Amino acid sequence: MTTTPGTESHPTARTLMDPNPKVMHPTDKISMGVHHIMKHRYRRLPVVDDAGHFMGVFGVSCLLRLVLPKAVVMEKGLESVPFVRDSLSDLHRRLKAVEDEPISLCMRDEMVRVAPDTPLLETLLTLYKTRASLPVVDPDTGKLVGVISYFDVGDKVLAAGV
Amino acid sequence: MSHATEVMDIVFGLDPQWYAGTLFVLTYLFIMSDRINRAIVSMTAAGLMVLGGVLTQEAAIEGVDFNTIGLLTGMMIIVAITRQSGVFQFLAIWSAKQAKGSPWGILVMLSMVTAVLSALLDNVTTVLLIAPVTLLITDSLEVEPYPYLFAEIFAANIGGAATLIGDPPNIMIGTAVGLSFNDFLFNLGPIVAVLLPAMMIPIYLIWGRKLVASSEARQRVMDYNEADAITDKRLLWQSMLVLALVITGFIVAHDIHQEPATIAMFGAALLLLISSLPRSPGEQSQQLEYIFSKVEWITIFFFVGLFIIVYGVEKTGLLELLASKMMEMTGGDPELTTVAIIWTSAIASALVDNIPFVATMIPIIENMAGLLGGPEELMPLWWALALGSCLGGNGSLVGASANLIIAGFAERAGHPIHFLRFMLMAFPLMLGSIAICTLYVYLRYL
Repeated sequence: MTTTPGTESHPTARTLMDPNPKVMHPTDKISMGVHHIMKHRYRRLPVVDDAGHFMGVFGVSCLLRLVLPKAVVMEKGLESVPFVRDSLSDLHRRLKAVEDEPISLCMRDEMVRVAPDTPLLETLLTLYKTRASLPVVDPDTGKLVGVISYFDVGDKVLAAGV
Repeated sequence: MSHATEVMDIVFGLDPQWYAGTLFVLTYLFIMSDRINRAIVSMTAAGLMVLGGVLTQEAAIEGVDFNTIGLLTGMMIIVAITRQSGVFQFLAIWSAKQAKGSPWGILVMLSMVTAVLSALLDNVTTVLLIAPVTLLITDSLEVEPYPYLFAEIFAANIGGAATLIGDPPNIMIGTAVGLSFNDFLFNLGPIVAVLLPAMMIPIYLIWGRKLVASSEARQRVMDYNEADAITDKRLLWQSMLVLALVITGFIVAHDIHQEPATIAMFGAALLLLISSLPRSPGEQSQQLEYIFSKVEWITIFFFVGLFIIVYGVEKTGLLELLASKMMEMTGGDPELTTVAIIWTSAIASALVDNIPFVATMIPIIENMAGLLGGPEELMPLWWALALGSCLGGNGSLVGASANLIIAGFAERAGHPIHFLRFMLMAFPLMLGSIAICTLYVYLRYL
């Protein structure tokens, strides 16, 4: 007997995901991204184009990168800067300089993702390795169909024991 | 003919000169296209040179200049260990603070540090160390990094011309001709000392006088504490001791009948030994793996392949033919030949990688000895080749590896250096520097 992916007997990424996640667009301003992240305490948000194609993620690590000097976050940059005495206002100055830029400036365009039909254990393993919410992307269309967070998984696991 | 240099039957009965010449031209074209990594290109072409029958394997190995390879590798290891102490950041920040936060003063100081380090290490390593600190400082100063990076490209290539170890072309020429560290320093050092301040004049007129930073921004730089850049004082002293010994070794190498590669490799081994002493065997292996990973193997293998290709072409007699054609064009006049070499090297090095160009020119010039009256008569030509190929690298972004590395940093920092914008300013400045060098070579040697 065959089972249908995504059903109770054959749970997949689709079973765990939130199908209506909060998303951002590549043209949204960084100031808007900062507002969303700080207001809702998101670690990261998926970025999609107007047709819903998954483009990448924008999150707190991106914000941190924006407030640090480029010389320390770039590839082959300085590995440590114990001699620099920057203040909080210096960090704010760097953020202010890019706040009107689009979030595409610093979103991560390559990242781990799963397909809706990825089996449960493989999905959880990917989530465990990624240590952040996981986008679920249709491999045929490239469209974002949902996001899986630790809390989505926790809810489903706890509910299964009831 | 010895077994090592025996030329075997060429594949498909082709003419060896045509086969080797075609392979050589194709190698150049692929390197210039930048579509395939240059080390892959040179290794593939070297393999074809042997498989095609131009060289035997023994001859191919004989063609590799292990003095150049050893010198480069040894210095890369020494720098990889030394940089862990933080000394290069210390030096860059200390020099910037000597300018009291003045944007122009910092540009001059960073350029001087770049030039000196390029002379004592190599210019690629130097810009890898200095460019990130420069971007950090310009971020604090809130000024455009472009003039700083532009000046550092010029300083690296000019400074590198001053010594045997400063730039790969000098290493190759020095090894091929048997020139010492002191030979380069005494013959090319004086013109480098003139060129550096001379190059600062146009840079000041174009950008320097417009560089302005607020007092807060200047204070940010002055607040840097360079002492904190030193992360390992023990390693600092060990590195400085070995670097001093190695540089002293280069200076006296000729007198003690040692080759620069031996000095560099022994210096690397000594620094590895003394810096590993307090570590457990497991930690030593980890550290060694890290240090070896910092050696630029792409450059090393590129050199190995390139030496084999040029040796193959040389063995077919093609380079001898080219040398006699060049002599025909200059009528065998030493002055005209020298001037032709300095300008040809400069323009060629601005447009193509100067390493394969110099590798090709060395046997061509060696073949001119008979026509010009002996090896002693070739000295002006060697200095012309060294100056032309090192300084020609300033003419465009692709002219030297150091330029491309700085351009890479600039791009990642969001301040891309565009090819044409750079060349419009750099090429005339490079030609100006070559004009000064021509005058120097003419007055001193001809």
